[in-house]
Amino acid sequence: MISDITLGQYFPAKSPMHRTDPRMKICLTVFAIVLIFVARNFLSLAVSVLFIGVGMACSKIPLKLYLKSLKPILFIIVFTAVLNIFYGSGDPLVQLGWLKITLSGILNSVFVSIRIVTLILASSVLTFTTSPTQLTDAIERLLRPLAKLHVPVHEFAMMMTIALRFVPTLLEETDKIMSAQKARGADMESGGIVQRIKALVPVLIPLFVSAFRRAYDLATAMESRCYHGGEGRTKMKILKFGHTDWVVLVFAVLALGLFITANILIPPVL
Amino acid sequence: MAFIEVQNVRFSYDTESVDSREVLHGINLSIEAGEFVALLGHNGCGKSTMAKLFNGMLLPTSGSVLVDGIDTQDEARQFEVRSRVGLVQQNPDNQLVAGVVEEDVAFGPENLGVPPLEIRKRVDEALKAVDMYEYREHAPHKLSGGQKQRVAIAGIIAMETRCIVLDEPTAMLDPRGRVEVMETIQRLNREKQITIVLITHYMDEAVQAGRVVVMDEGEILTDGSPREVFSDVEFLKRHDLDVPQATELVYRLAAAGIKLPEIPLGEEECVRLFRRYLAGEAH
Repeated sequence: MISDITLGQYFPAKSPMHRTDPRMKICLTVFAIVLIFVARNFLSLAVSVLFIGVGMACSKIPLKLYLKSLKPILFIIVFTAVLNIFYGSGDPLVQLGWLKITLSGILNSVFVSIRIVTLILASSVLTFTTSPTQLTDAIERLLRPLAKLHVPVHEFAMMMTIALRFVPTLLEETDKIMSAQKARGADMESGGIVQRIKALVPVLIPLFVSAFRRAYDLATAMESRCYHGGEGRTKMKILKFGHTDWVVLVFAVLALGLFITANILIPPVL
Repeated sequence: MAFIEVQNVRFSYDTESVDSREVLHGINLSIEAGEFVALLGHNGCGKSTMAKLFNGMLLPTSGSVLVDGIDTQDEARQFEVRSRVGLVQQNPDNQLVAGVVEEDVAFGPENLGVPPLEIRKRVDEALKAVDMYEYREHAPHKLSGGQKQRVAIAGIIAMETRCIVLDEPTAMLDPRGRVEVMETIQRLNREKQITIVLITHYMDEAVQAGRVVVMDEGEILTDGSPREVFSDVEFLKRHDLDVPQATELVYRLAAAGIKLPEIPLGEEECVRLFRRYLAGEAH
């Protein structure tokens, strides 16, 4: 059943990472990604890896799940690693015709692979420990200053909320329509790509029609519950900067200090 | 003055277009605070239009609708009207906004600008009132139809609405969900004195109301207690309307020559009536 798909990759648990303010987590993820890209040598890279490692350890989510999140991009990692091996400079260790493998090439390839892996892990820590609603909420609050520049921040967040709410409903509906069309003899599993796309039309049209009907009902429901945009609106859940967040902040500052020292003291790899 | 006053309301969709058709032809109706009114009628008789007129989602083409003395046409006081009269629609999937039950219930009070702590209190109370408190952190799509409708009702109670208009709330539910919703509505009416306007075409639900208003072709046919309305079976049949099953049974028996002293509305009442009749027969 397609409706079994879980949205996002949120894993509910009670951990310091789950408790951390979602705004903080978003900022930290961006921070970690910047660190990974700015790292010039193995020591500073190790600092950023350690930083993300601590984040993973504090999330109480089994390592297996993190490794699973790497699976879809395994090909990209291997591909860039192999490519990088041949792009080094200096004396060749092995010469295969015009292809040469150098020490710098190997170092490079290891460096880049670690970069990609930690990048994915950093974003996984965020999506594993933050529910979609918390994420939207945090994004709305972080972008609030943009509302002064007439960017429709609230509307954007509302659209995200509604989209997240209706994805499972529409998936379920797609499933139903597909079964209904199959019952009428529609063939969706065989034929070439063009034929398969054509077979989707009788699924998409009813889906669209019903989505518009839902939208109309939803608009009525929202209006009768006095929705009138973001102005004068309050929120039940207020994001609060708690003890955990202060600890996390101090930790991040320490990591930054260590990182800068490492980056300056030791000459770059690349 | 009554809580809701519908005065001489006429309504047509698309007044500008050529094929505009009048749906309501001069409706007069008043509903007192604390009443439980069932609005009955065929498909297309104008009862769903009525539902949207009660909270100003639609405005009358002529005539007026007053809610607690406020004219629904007064745009500046639109929110006052909507926070007094809430609307629950037919499709349980299409009226929940947020991806978490308690956040959906909070949606109304949030729009009204209620302070956060107060919203929390109202949300908890509303969820307890519809018996959905333990599901507060669930995702709506994992709930049953009856549960979703109860969440929708909670979302309206949380706005401290004094009247709930329900437009065929049980039409898409299974029998169990139907019972859940009906019990919730009755409890709210009894314990919280919330005015209920239930639009339905299930006669067995209409019987549970304190007052039944029957509509046909944009007009009000009859208005009275369920017993008054359903005792005139001939009249309802003439307008192609059903009567509750128990009433139908006794009506047919009467036609076959077995006259029972009363007209029952529910099953239990019917059984009691038969028992008494059969006991009398034995003597």
